[in-house]
This record gives sequence, C-alpha cells and structure tokens, in this order.
Amino acid sequence: MRHEAGIVEGRARRGLPGHEENRVPVLDVRNLKVSYTSSGPQILKGIDFSVDDSDFCAVIGPSGAGKSTLIRCVNRLVEPTEGDIVLFGQNVRALRGGELRHLRRRIGMIFQEFNLVNRMSVMDNVLSGRLGYTGAFRSFFKAFPREDIDRALHLLERVGLQDHVDKRADALSGGQRQRVGIARALMQKPEILLLDEPTSALDPKISRDVMGLIRELADEFKVPVLCNIHDVQLALETCNRIIGMQDGYKKFDGPSKGMRKQDLDEIYAMEVL
Amino acid sequence: MSVAAPAVSEHGFDAWVAHKRGRRINNWLLVAAALAVLGWCFWDTIMVDTDWARMGGALGIGGTLERFLWIDWSLVPHLIVPALETLMMATLGTLLGCVLSLPVAWFGAANVTPSKYFFYPVGRFLMVLSRSIHEIIWALLFVGAVGLGALPGILAVAMRSIGFISKITAEAIENIDPKPVEAIRAVGGNQFQVMYYGIVPQILPVIIGTIIFEWDINIRRSAIMGLVGAGGLGLVFFRQMAMFNYGGVTLVVLAVLVLIAIGEVVSLLPARP
Repeated sequence: MRHEAGIVEGRARRGLPGHEENRVPVLDVRNLKVSYTSSGPQILKGIDFSVDDSDFCAVIGPSGAGKSTLIRCVNRLVEPTEGDIVLFGQNVRALRGGELRHLRRRIGMIFQEFNLVNRMSVMDNVLSGRLGYTGAFRSFFKAFPREDIDRALHLLERVGLQDHVDKRADALSGGQRQRVGIARALMQKPEILLLDEPTSALDPKISRDVMGLIRELADEFKVPVLCNIHDVQLALETCNRIIGMQDGYKKFDGPSKGMRKQDLDEIYAMEVL
Repeated sequence: MSVAAPAVSEHGFDAWVAHKRGRRINNWLLVAAALAVLGWCFWDTIMVDTDWARMGGALGIGGTLERFLWIDWSLVPHLIVPALETLMMATLGTLLGCVLSLPVAWFGAANVTPSKYFFYPVGRFLMVLSRSIHEIIWALLFVGAVGLGALPGILAVAMRSIGFISKITAEAIENIDPKPVEAIRAVGGNQFQVMYYGIVPQILPVIIGTIIFEWDINIRRSAIMGLVGAGGLGLVFFRQMAMFNYGGVTLVVLAVLVLIAIGEVVSLLPARP
C-alpha cells in the first residue's frame, strides 16, 4: 500500500526505530472521564491511551462513542470531569487563562465542518492560525508579520490553493475549504495535530486526497496526529495505530496492521444490535 | 370549549347546535361589551373634553388650515444651516450610539456576556432603559445638563439609539455559527481575537444594515429636537410657530420631508446586492 511506505519512510526520517521501548509519549491520557452536566450521562468512562511523537493515531468507533469529546478534551474545548491529560509534559487540566492559550497554540486542530470564518478571505483564515502569537494591535489591523504572510502563501501553495488566496472562504468547494483548514492548522507550527472527523463532510475520493495530504504534511513537518475518523477503511490505510472506542470505553488499541475483523466487529457491536 | 367537545360527539346534532348557539351568544356579548367601552372612551375624551365653541364651524377649520398652504419661500436660505445641523446631529448621534452600544451588546448577549448573573441583566436593562425613554425626554434631560444647542440633541439621539442597535447586535451575536469561534479558541486566540475574528465578520452585515436604518430614524428624531431647544430644524419650526408664520411652518415640514427622503435613498444604497 502507498501509505504503508509513507509510514515507514516517515519514521525513518524522524530517526525513530518504532520499537516499543523507544517510544516517547507526546500525549498521555489516564482515566479520562467526561460528563457535560453533573447529573447527565457520562460520555467518557475512563479512557487511557498515549500518543507517541511518531504516531498517526486513529480513533474509530460508532457515532456517540465519545470520539469528538475525547479529542476536544486534549485542548480543553471540552472540560474533563476526571482523570489526567499530560501533553508535552504539561498537565493540561491544571492550566488556566494565558497558560492554556499558550498550550493551545502548539496544538493544530482540523475540524469536521472546517470551521472557517466564511465571510473572511482564504488568506485571512489561514493567517488566523497565527493569532495565538499575534498581539492585540496587529490582530486588530490584520497586520501579520512578514514571515507569517510568507508562510501562509507557502502553505496555500502546498495544499494547492495558490489560485484562491484572495477568495472568500465560502466561495470554495468542500475539499478546498478543508485544505484551508489544514493550512490554518499548520500555520501554528503545531507540535501535535488533532483531527476531528476531517473527511466526513467530503465525498469518498476527496476524503482520500485530503487524508493523503494530511499524512504527507504530518510526515514532512514531523507532527504526531490524533485523528477521529469513522471511515474504517481510510483509517486502516492512513494511520499506523488504531484506538477503537465504544460507548465511552476503549475497546481496542494497537497497530493498524494487527487489526483483525473480529476486533472491528467488537467495536461496532452496538450498531449490529 | 375543550370540555364541550366530547359532549358534542356523544349527543350528536342537537348538542352540536346548542354548543354553536352558546358560542355565538358569547361572541355577541363580547362585541357588545367592547363597543360599550369604545363608546364611553369616545364620549369622555372627544365629546366632553373638546372646546367646540372655539373651533368655529367647518369654515373656521378650513380657514386655519388654509393659512398653512401659503408657503413662505423667503425662508429657504435660513433653513440650509439648520437642515445641515439636523443631518449632522443624526449622524454624530448615530455614531456615538454605535460606540456606546458595543459594551451593551457584549453584556446583553447570553453567549458572550462576561457574567450571566451581573452583566447580562445590566445589559438588558440598559437596552430597555434607552428605548423606554422618548427622545424628547432624553433631550430635555441633556438640555438641562449641557445647555442649549446641537450637543444635547446629539446626546439624546445617541442615548435613544443604544437600545435598538445593541438589541439587534446582541441577537445577532446569539445567533452566530459557533464553529469558527471554536476554531479561533483552538489556535490559542484570546477573548478579543475570538470576538474580532470569530464573531465580528459574522454579524457585520446585520450591524451595518441596522446602523443605516437607525440613522434614517435619527434624522426624524433630530428634526424635532429643536422643540426643546436642542437645535436643528426643530428650532426653526418652533420659532415660526411662535410667530404664527404658518407658511414658514409648512416650509420647515417640507424641509424635514426632503431630509428624510435623502435618508431613505442613502439607506437603500447598501441593500443593493
């Protein structure tokens, strides 16, 4: 498979042998529990996993399993109720205000519905990825430093949107908008990428193109990835590691190569019932 | 009625007719009561309170109205400066109102308010306060506070504008798409950046439309500010009335009409697609 070669190549470039004992966890999640209201149902019921600096890790599972909640806990768009999240050696749950913003700017995020500001140009959307590093005065006048503008233009070319720089975001097609989302996330020079169903608003062919592009860029910039995805086939093709979730519990955790049919059946058992 | 409905189905035609008759009698009683109240109002406020002797018959009424028709064109050169003053009062008042509306809208929008228990009610209260006090009352207050001239008019117009502009703005903020806001938070943007990049672009069209609409209304308001000594065309109107120069009064009314027509034309311009 095409992507298989990519993974090996990517690991080699990062100088990582891929042995279990040499793995360096970037993200370590322990006993994570989340309920949105104190009396409401528990969405995550004690999740443990870690992401290494060479991982392209997929989180799969049926709708309502808690995949989006899990990923949003990492940058605290959702507040966990219990457990520990350690990212880059920092305890995420202990951070407040400015500290949290400083952590967030090191985390790139790509969203299911792109989450672009539709009435803003493609360029301004991409540049908004730098906001965490931009002062109030500069952000008020949208006067980003030269290196940011250069980087934005470079990234837009890299994702194939060099001809759409000054268009409004809502003038683009779905696949193109997600490419803007990718460029915005990479503007941050992220040290980890969180992908929340990046392809489920796209058709199957575009989905593969977009996932392939993310894979390629993640390897190029040496960024570990944690990715929610419900297209199992695409997950197995793109990712080197799979976390299977069902109803708030982790049901599977292992390399995508070792995944068997019965593992999948177990994760998706709810849907059969 | 809800009690009678099952009875109808049990006893058939006779019960249905009796039920309908009962309702018809009820309706007639209600109409008769309403007419009686209306008749009493008419008698008490118009027949009793009016000074019929002073009116002096149909000829007298016609004669009085006729005096308004001899328009005093000689006044035209003296109207140019007050007309401009009225226009400027409306414009500056609207601008000041916009600036003052910003914090009120921020406080009064449930999804961005700094505090649901303190600032939100304060914001909502200011909206109601601004609208529940008539512009003439505001003008009287400010004439007392800062003296005669255009300034109290500007302040009055501004105060009266806050309610409408901030209410529409707050509602627009409450109706935004939360997805871009999530994205700006995820890149590490601070409160100001979230508002400026995530919210403002989404509500801008609504706000611009509202401001122009409010400006159009404020031309009308400014035109009567002079009645309480706050400058503009209203002051000329008041003087002409005091001099019993009815032709001049009509001319001032025509001048107001021209200003409002101008406002109407200008406010139509941005509506063009």
